[in-house]
Amino acid sequence: MKTRILSYRKNFTLIASFVVLISSLLIIALYVSYKLTKKVVENEFSAAKVDVLEKTVLPYNVFFQNKVSEISFYQGFLDSTSATQYANSVLNKYPFVERILFYDAQISNRDVEDGLRTLNFSLGIKGLYQYGLNVNKDSTVLFSADKPGSLSLSNGDEFNKIGLKLASYLSNVDTTKLLSNDQIFNIFYNISHNKITYMNVLRREDIKVYKDLMFKKMPPSPFYEQDIFSFELNPYKLVVKNTYPQLYQNVVIKPLSFETISDKPNLVTTEIALPLAFSNFKLYLSSDRKFLDKEIRRRFLPVGLGIFAVYGILLILIFLISRNLKVNQKLFSLQYDFINNFTHEFKTPVAVIKIAGNNILNAKDLSDLERKRYGKILDEEADKLNDLMNKLLSFTQIENRSIKVKNEEINVEVFSQNIIDAFQLKHPEYDIQLNIKGLTVFQSDPVLLSSIFYNLIENAYKYANADNKFLKISIVKDKKNIVFSFEDKGIGIDASELVHIFKKFYRIQSRYNQQGSVGLGLAFCKELVTFMNGEIHVKSKPGKGSVFVVTLPLDK
Amino acid sequence: MPYWIKKYYLITVLLIAGCSTHPVVEVLPVDAFFKNAQQFNYRISPNGKALAFLQTYKGKMNVFVRSIDDTTRLQLTKFEDSSIRDFSWVGNNRLFCEKERDTNNRCGAFLINKDGTNYTSIKSRAGTKLSILDNSVHASQVLITSNERDESFFDVYHLNIENGSKKLFVENPGNILLWFADEKGDVNLGAGSDGVNETIYYRENIEEKFKAIFSNNFKSTLKPLGFTKNKRYIYALSDLNRDKLALVEFDCLEGKESKLIYQHPDADILEVLTSGLNKEPALVAYDLDRRQRHFLNQTYKEIYEDISDKLPNQEIKIIDISERNLIIKVYTDRNPGAFYSYNIEKRSLKKLSEVNPEIEPANMCSMQAISYQTKDGLTIHGYLTLPLGKKKENLPCVILPHQGPSQRNVFGFLPEVQFLANRGYAVLQMNYRGSTGYGKKFENAGFKQWGAKMQDDIFDGVAWLIKEGIANPSQIGVFGYGFGGYAALNQVINHPDTYKCAASYSGYINLFTYIKGYPAHFKPYKLMLNEMIGDPETDVDYLKSASPVFQIEKIKTPILIAQGGKDAKVNVNETNQFVKELRKKNIPIKYILNENETQLFKNVDNKIRFYTELVDFLDQHLKPH
Repeated sequence: MKTRILSYRKNFTLIASFVVLISSLLIIALYVSYKLTKKVVENEFSAAKVDVLEKTVLPYNVFFQNKVSEISFYQGFLDSTSATQYANSVLNKYPFVERILFYDAQISNRDVEDGLRTLNFSLGIKGLYQYGLNVNKDSTVLFSADKPGSLSLSNGDEFNKIGLKLASYLSNVDTTKLLSNDQIFNIFYNISHNKITYMNVLRREDIKVYKDLMFKKMPPSPFYEQDIFSFELNPYKLVVKNTYPQLYQNVVIKPLSFETISDKPNLVTTEIALPLAFSNFKLYLSSDRKFLDKEIRRRFLPVGLGIFAVYGILLILIFLISRNLKVNQKLFSLQYDFINNFTHEFKTPVAVIKIAGNNILNAKDLSDLERKRYGKILDEEADKLNDLMNKLLSFTQIENRSIKVKNEEINVEVFSQNIIDAFQLKHPEYDIQLNIKGLTVFQSDPVLLSSIFYNLIENAYKYANADNKFLKISIVKDKKNIVFSFEDKGIGIDASELVHIFKKFYRIQSRYNQQGSVGLGLAFCKELVTFMNGEIHVKSKPGKGSVFVVTLPLDK
Repeated sequence: MPYWIKKYYLITVLLIAGCSTHPVVEVLPVDAFFKNAQQFNYRISPNGKALAFLQTYKGKMNVFVRSIDDTTRLQLTKFEDSSIRDFSWVGNNRLFCEKERDTNNRCGAFLINKDGTNYTSIKSRAGTKLSILDNSVHASQVLITSNERDESFFDVYHLNIENGSKKLFVENPGNILLWFADEKGDVNLGAGSDGVNETIYYRENIEEKFKAIFSNNFKSTLKPLGFTKNKRYIYALSDLNRDKLALVEFDCLEGKESKLIYQHPDADILEVLTSGLNKEPALVAYDLDRRQRHFLNQTYKEIYEDISDKLPNQEIKIIDISERNLIIKVYTDRNPGAFYSYNIEKRSLKKLSEVNPEIEPANMCSMQAISYQTKDGLTIHGYLTLPLGKKKENLPCVILPHQGPSQRNVFGFLPEVQFLANRGYAVLQMNYRGSTGYGKKFENAGFKQWGAKMQDDIFDGVAWLIKEGIANPSQIGVFGYGFGGYAALNQVINHPDTYKCAASYSGYINLFTYIKGYPAHFKPYKLMLNEMIGDPETDVDYLKSASPVFQIEKIKTPILIAQGGKDAKVNVNETNQFVKELRKKNIPIKYILNENETQLFKNVDNKIRFYTELVDFLDQHLKPH
């Protein structure tokens, strides 16, 4: 079995290596979190464009899904007046619509000059109108059936496309089935480069009628109204909504073929295609590398601060731990001193007893005077030992709170005078004055109180010049307290040492206590006073003397 | 009775009496109202001895016969492929029946004896239709119509009831829609219509050609009923030169009204009953708060008085007449009613069957006639049905505008109204301007007011309910079918804060589509629609404001929409889009789309599902939880 070495251990290396460890962790954490933040920002840079696109094309989507299909609600009844109204509502609300062509169309089985004819089915144009912010009011009418043959090829283009779609649908339609959404999109819409053309969706009944027109030989039919609108769009008029200004410095609409300019190597770019009618265009988003770095730093800042905070807390903890260790170490050495001192204190009476014993043993016969002298010495030295042991014992008892405070009635004057008499008996040159004001008796533990008196009176004697052994004891009643003050004319205590004098094993280094005092006295007093719910204070001027004031409560 | 028993008896009686002021109303299941209502089409044989009627057999309508004295019935046909659409007695022993169009597009018509023997099919071409014109038998022949010669119009034929052979009798000059036969079986009167203008055609005898004797446009009515004893004159309902429809005699040679027989100052004449004996008008009926009658024949007055004595406090309706017998239906607002036969000579009454035995009249609610003033001073009549066992105050209300709009609400047992009242709702129906029965001025006042004053009339009814304290102002909903559904949507568009919810059952959502539903390329139609609803080319703004599909922005109220996929008045793609847009706005929408139904749901399961969903929807939004 290994024996554990119970010896004082050094902590410095441990603490130092711990600090090194957390410091290196700090650096790693800072590095990794910076890298992650950078990655996140880069990912967002390429992902958030979807959101920018969505917000930018929102008006277009509303236009495409609601406003265009609204034409169907009019069931072909739109004429030049009501179409103008409709067109203006579009132009005012959707700036990306530049020009609107309105073909007021008619379906019949009659021959038409301008329009489309398949079998007996014909889709003719009654009128063609254009609307736009740049279109002059006078040039609204592009074509009228009153002047047949005047329709230009380019103007009839969109009309022909959607007309052909309708005719091919009618030629093989199953009239028992409902039109699906898919079919509606394929037949009634024609979407090409920057253009949306739309014809009002037919009802089930219309489809039957038109199919009959196409395939059956019938007398000239009436004219059935259809409305065809062609919208010319300008993608550059879409308002770009940069919802991530911290990510994208510039968001612009560019043709699909646009390439990144190579003379700006620090430019970070991404792109996303515009939908449907704008599919030849893309949203081009770019930021300067420095701009992105700034964003990375902005996001990294709170993370870094957090890491530093954790690091700081760890440092404070380790500081506190090491401080406690230091205090404990000091205490350990004080106790060690104490044992040293104590042994020394015991040594003197033991040595005297040993010499006296030897002398008695070696003497052939003892004179009465000698016997008395040795007897007195032995008795005195035994008392000293006993006194020392009592002190030590009661001190540990008080420290452990293992004794009980008695509560007896004490006559202040008798009690004090007895102790003063005892001292003056021992040291006749010791001048002790007693002043009592305002009270005669009070309740307390006489043993504990006398210990306080003994210690303070003895200290006043011990730390005074031989020609100036003086002590003035005042006992006064102050409200609910009894105040004892011990004023001497001793050597006094240096201000720097005042805070320490009530500490255990603390001894002022001076020529007065070289013969060995354990430094327990004042600490003991302090313990006693605290134990009796009182307080002890000291005021001192070096060279002039000190005043110890003990305050004890009167009411128990 | 010992004292203590008396004491407890008294307490018990008091307790019961105390409870009875708050009776627990039994909530009947949905199908009790909409599933089992059996509308027997009782037809009585000319001699009054036998009854024929239609009843379901394996899901299809088949014809049954019973004696008037005996409840045992005999099933004559067992068709499982298609139902019998209509039937008629031809003599006392034989029936003429028409089947619904089958998968081969053929409407089979046949003759059958009342004991089920001697089934004779009548030959006809696919795609054509045979109908009975007059079932009085002259030399084993009756008059039928058929479009065999030209599918676009009907000629009159003689049908031999023994062997089922037919012979062309009157050729249609091409413009007659309705034929009228006289007592002897001659056909010298016809009525034609291009849908807008109605024309009466007449000839003095078979040798002559038909001549148009009178034309009138859609704003007034001349409706021929049949010949008088003198073949120069006909009976007709007319509001020419007057506001209310009246029974008149019309001179066919002069082409003008010759005699006023009866008119009522406040109401149109809606029904003229012809006596079984002398074939002359016996009574005329018109609707005020309830149906009223004016008797032109003393016997019928006595018959009505006799029946009223025997079945007091009931509405009485004659549904078929033979020489000596009547089939009547009696009903009240709280009772779906029963069919009875009545012997004119013996003055005896016999019950035939109940209409809906699942309905307990005591649990149903009474219909009160009400009226209120509109803001522009018109009096609107209507009916208020209050839930049973509740005070006439602070009630959850359903506003129920009728369909049409050229129709009206009448007094009687209405399953839809009773269903809602049974579930605790006060139901308000009103005859807003444009409704029929109050004269042509009132009806024509609805022209071009579909989305305007007609809606105001409905809302004035709501204001009246609130003012009277009947309605809880925070529990008002609106529901309607057809035009009623259209009105429900318009009500919540105009008054989003008043209504808590709206339900539209096949309601129109776009008036452009509604107009397009008519062959508007015909000039007369176009003129009529322009005047009645609005001109789709010049009244664009009004029609937009009156069409819910253009007013989605204004809708804030939870809505239920029920729609048949084959409804010709509505474009389903449009309804789908309407619902989609509303959902996008986060408005709670319940959408019931039955792909195979037309405007009115025919399938019982669809019907029950709809009404179950409807009441769930109303409860959710109108009743506190």
